[in-house]
Amino acid sequence: MNAYRIKGKGRVDQRKPVRFSFNGTAYTGYEGDTLASALLANGVHLVGRSFKYHRPRGILSAGSEEPNALVGTDRGNGRFEPNTRATVLEVFEGLNTTSQNHWPSLKRDVGAINDALYMLFSAGFYYKTFMWPKSFWNKVYEPFIRGAAGLGKSPTVPDPDTYASRFAHCDVLVVGAGPAGLAAALEAGRSGAKVMLCDEQAELGGSLLSETNARIDGASGWDWLKAAAAELAALPNVTVLTRATAIGYYHQNLLGLCQRLTDHLASPPEGAPRERLWKVRAKQVVLAQGAIEKPLVFDGNDRPGVMLAGAARSYLNRYGVKVGNRPVVVTSHDSAWLAAYDLAEAGAKVAAIVDVRPEVAGHLKQRAAALGIEMLTGWTATGTSGRLRVASVRVNPISRNGVFGPARTIACDALLMSGGWTPSVHLFSHTKGKLDWNEEGQMFLPGERTEESRCAGAGNGSFGLAAALAEGAEAGADAAVDAGFKAKAATYKVDGEVPLMGVSSRELTTDRNASKAKAFVDFQNDVTAKDIRLAVREGFKSIEHIKRYTTNGMATDQGKTSNINGLVIASDAVRRPAPAVGLTTFRPPYTPTTFGAFAGYNRSELFEVTRKTPIDVWAEENGAVFEPVSLWRRAWYFPKPGEDMHAAVTRECKTVRETLGMFDASTLGKIEIVGPDAAEFLNRMYTNAWSKLGVGRCRYGVLLGEDGFIRDDGVIGRITSDRFHVTTTTGGAARVLAMMEDYLQTEWPDLKVWLTSITEQWAVIALQGPNARKLFEPLVEGIDLSEEGFPHMSVAEGRIYGVPTRLFRMSFTGERGYEINVPARYGRAVWEKLFEAGQQFGITPYGTETMHVLRAEKGYIIVGQDTDGTLTPEDAGLGWAIGKSKPDFVGKRSLSRPDMLKADRKQLVGLLTSDPNTVLEAGAQIVLDPNQTLPMKMVGHVTSSYWSGTLGRSIALAVVEGGRAREGATIHVPMPGRTHTARIVGTVFYDPENKRLSA
Amino acid sequence: MVDFVWNVRSPLQQAVMPGRAGAIVPFAGVKLAEIRDFDLVQIFARRGQREATAKAVKKHYGVDAPAPRQAVSAKGATLIWSGPDQLMALSARKPGTFRPVDALRESFEGIASLSDQSDGRCLIRMSGLQARAMLAKLTSVDLHDSVFPVGTAATTSIDHTAVNLWRSENSEDGSPVFNVLVFSSFADSIWHTIVDAAAEYGIEIETRSAASV
Repeated sequence: MNAYRIKGKGRVDQRKPVRFSFNGTAYTGYEGDTLASALLANGVHLVGRSFKYHRPRGILSAGSEEPNALVGTDRGNGRFEPNTRATVLEVFEGLNTTSQNHWPSLKRDVGAINDALYMLFSAGFYYKTFMWPKSFWNKVYEPFIRGAAGLGKSPTVPDPDTYASRFAHCDVLVVGAGPAGLAAALEAGRSGAKVMLCDEQAELGGSLLSETNARIDGASGWDWLKAAAAELAALPNVTVLTRATAIGYYHQNLLGLCQRLTDHLASPPEGAPRERLWKVRAKQVVLAQGAIEKPLVFDGNDRPGVMLAGAARSYLNRYGVKVGNRPVVVTSHDSAWLAAYDLAEAGAKVAAIVDVRPEVAGHLKQRAAALGIEMLTGWTATGTSGRLRVASVRVNPISRNGVFGPARTIACDALLMSGGWTPSVHLFSHTKGKLDWNEEGQMFLPGERTEESRCAGAGNGSFGLAAALAEGAEAGADAAVDAGFKAKAATYKVDGEVPLMGVSSRELTTDRNASKAKAFVDFQNDVTAKDIRLAVREGFKSIEHIKRYTTNGMATDQGKTSNINGLVIASDAVRRPAPAVGLTTFRPPYTPTTFGAFAGYNRSELFEVTRKTPIDVWAEENGAVFEPVSLWRRAWYFPKPGEDMHAAVTRECKTVRETLGMFDASTLGKIEIVGPDAAEFLNRMYTNAWSKLGVGRCRYGVLLGEDGFIRDDGVIGRITSDRFHVTTTTGGAARVLAMMEDYLQTEWPDLKVWLTSITEQWAVIALQGPNARKLFEPLVEGIDLSEEGFPHMSVAEGRIYGVPTRLFRMSFTGERGYEINVPARYGRAVWEKLFEAGQQFGITPYGTETMHVLRAEKGYIIVGQDTDGTLTPEDAGLGWAIGKSKPDFVGKRSLSRPDMLKADRKQLVGLLTSDPNTVLEAGAQIVLDPNQTLPMKMVGHVTSSYWSGTLGRSIALAVVEGGRAREGATIHVPMPGRTHTARIVGTVFYDPENKRLSA
Repeated sequence: MVDFVWNVRSPLQQAVMPGRAGAIVPFAGVKLAEIRDFDLVQIFARRGQREATAKAVKKHYGVDAPAPRQAVSAKGATLIWSGPDQLMALSARKPGTFRPVDALRESFEGIASLSDQSDGRCLIRMSGLQARAMLAKLTSVDLHDSVFPVGTAATTSIDHTAVNLWRSENSEDGSPVFNVLVFSSFADSIWHTIVDAAAEYGIEIETRSAASV
């Protein structure tokens, strides 16, 4: 059934076949297969097209580092994912997969023309090739490049899956369950520490899963693994997570693990989350991430069938799959010889082992000779052939003095390469741990640590099973001890392991013209050795710049197989040692992670928190339309049957102006400022003077930043001599409190003042309109509501309906107004009572839109709408609110800077359109001369604009350069299709004498 | 004086629906209760008055003020540490009390600032055998017995929203009991977040008066 599967070999369950499809063709694999192993078992090597040149590509690796074998996976019901690594994806019955990046088909791809035109696509080609004519960039070149670029297709429907997340805490977290990680987890687990062990693969074992020779304590590697897994499973203090990738290592030993829960299941349980993001806080961390094999860089090293030797060994030993019947090995490292032996023993005809080293250990040769494998030591690979699959490799001998001998072509159906191994230091680097360059191994190793972490095994540069077990056990025991437990590292006896050596090579030397070689460094981004050298020639010296110019190490694999090769090639080209050239930054996540995992539960209704007032439910029950205002949802308007927004708002405005309206102002920020120095504190924070504000009186206050620009505003009432009730804007509440705390703690610690947020404590009902007093005068106890006893801008405490209230007389509409603060739990009841009692006056509830219109008619600003962080009080027409005689307040110095005093600063003005029915768009740009050529000189913009039913015409507020001096002038607002004209007027459109405040 | 029947309303009035919710299982893994009718006063020791405030607490409530990260039960009240030099005093509301601060004013005059937050917070109690598993989805605090025994308090966040979290005596079935005070305006959202997190374990929902717990 599987032409390349060896019966009975490997760890897949050959009794359990699963059917899946790739590009519409049905294939069979077995439970335990990855898509890659199952395709290889069927003799399929061609799985995709490369990013830039659309070259046919195969499977390079057997792990999460895979740069080439990216497929689109369809798990049904809208569950489509691009760029899934075939080497990670587990096959299941009914899996549908497709290759990417080609048209019309994988085997015949028109885009491969790019391969022939490769001269045009060298490093930085998009900066150079498409420069002329200039006008072509936007319309022709960029759309073309963008259309041709990109990996995979985006899903077109919302992700139907759900995602889970949770926090976890442990004494020791072990990342990686290869031999080092297992040994560490066993040691820590036996000590009684709370241990978590995670591994990105479906089963524990790491490199042990591909190892068939060595024996541990007399048992085979797999038997030892089975026993270790069983022991860990039996320890109640140990949690083992498979399919869980440690994606990031953050401060104070917080690690993110993304666990795949259902992607491997043919029929996931209904409602089961697809993935779970674990946020693990560990006292101690053991990193046993292992190592990733390096490709060799030579011409044609990217054809399908060319793969890492270690991967071929994994496919054979773990999955029972021969990657070819006639493989050739080309290597600079001993480990590839093991792949040759294993394949030969499994019945493949290994055509040759080509080793670039002139000499290799005798025992390697003996075994190869015994297996009848031809050995070419001191030879190099200089080319390959085969369009959709490698067919041959061209090799040359090199003499000791570097002279090339004649080329020889060796037929093969798989080419297995190894350039040595790169320790995975990704997570260690996330912590900003220092990396030390190891010249002998040509690798970076973990150095000085910044977190409570240890590295063990191949990830620490300690290669081989015996070293991994010993170092893992020691790290596990030490971690447990540091977490407060007693532990002593066990020792393991390992047999059958041979020491493995190698040299690290740059691009393999060639007898051909190196500038024509397609010797790939980064397979995913089609970056060749000559691209890197070109970048250096063009002046790039920093590895970070070289990376961005060539794209080496970018995209989904983040250069796991290419970074070190790229670095050493760059280091040679710039003639500086590798550590001086440096390494690009490792950033989370370690492997591609779904947005769903990060979002977790925060989707749809739970996307973010919504704040609601005590009156929110009443508004909902009474047909309010809501709008979001910072985190709050606020009633926007209350349409009656048949009314649209315009009609509802016009009616609400008219009712407030003529009789009475009520408004839920509970969202306003409220801060209580208490203490003997409260007035002095306010003097220093706000622009206004507060010392002389009498008890029971209120004042409008303006808060600036140090830069002199308006930050917030609100009405402040003095409840007692040492107690102020400060209101802030809805969106500014938390910011203002934090700013006050900051000043109090850092600038004026001598002031005896205490701040408390009381936003949540009070429900606030604004009663506005000429009948406001009439309505509630009979309802209020303990406050003299007469004009003399309680004039505009007063505050008093008393009771309404018997409920304690903090009553303000203030207006944001220009009408007589009161704001009734009652403890939140009574908010709705008092509101309902007032609404009921207000029926005699035809009361209307109104929302934020009516509030906006009414305040705009009066020219009252909204901070953040009419101001944008660059307006001074003077600009906003609030110069009167500045206590000029005060010695200081936040922002005072800035207000005297020359730039702040310029006459042509943007100032807030009113606008009346020539056509009273035209309502300008808020944000529209204002120009003085509409006939000027583009781009026009903009002198300001519209900040607020409404239809004013009261005035029977539109009104607008705007900021205009030198606006107040231009009063009466005509300005223009160019909009698509037509240009509006308007006259600059004052900001108060209605009742400028403020007669209605006491009407 | 207007004749008026009180209709006190919790911010969770609409959200909390007593009964079973979530997965259909024989025994609800999580029990959620909204505790109503409580008074809550925040007590801030003034600068340099930590000792004096602690003494006043001892005198007023008959117990030592809670140490950092602690909540203590006193006669008629629970005192919850809520930050350096500050604590929350939680008690069942006495009928007719409007201003719980009044009863404390004398004890803390001049040494601590008092702030009535009775309406500023909602109190949600979570218990059941799966309460801890459910909370692991919501809070970064380690709630393991060895780290968070009965009487531990934390000022932390749930879903980016500030909360006071503390553990009270285990329930009769031996499962842990956790309480959270959440800002009233956030309560509706947080309640739905909690219910969503608890759904897979099966939920039993109730409302209780503070006087009955």
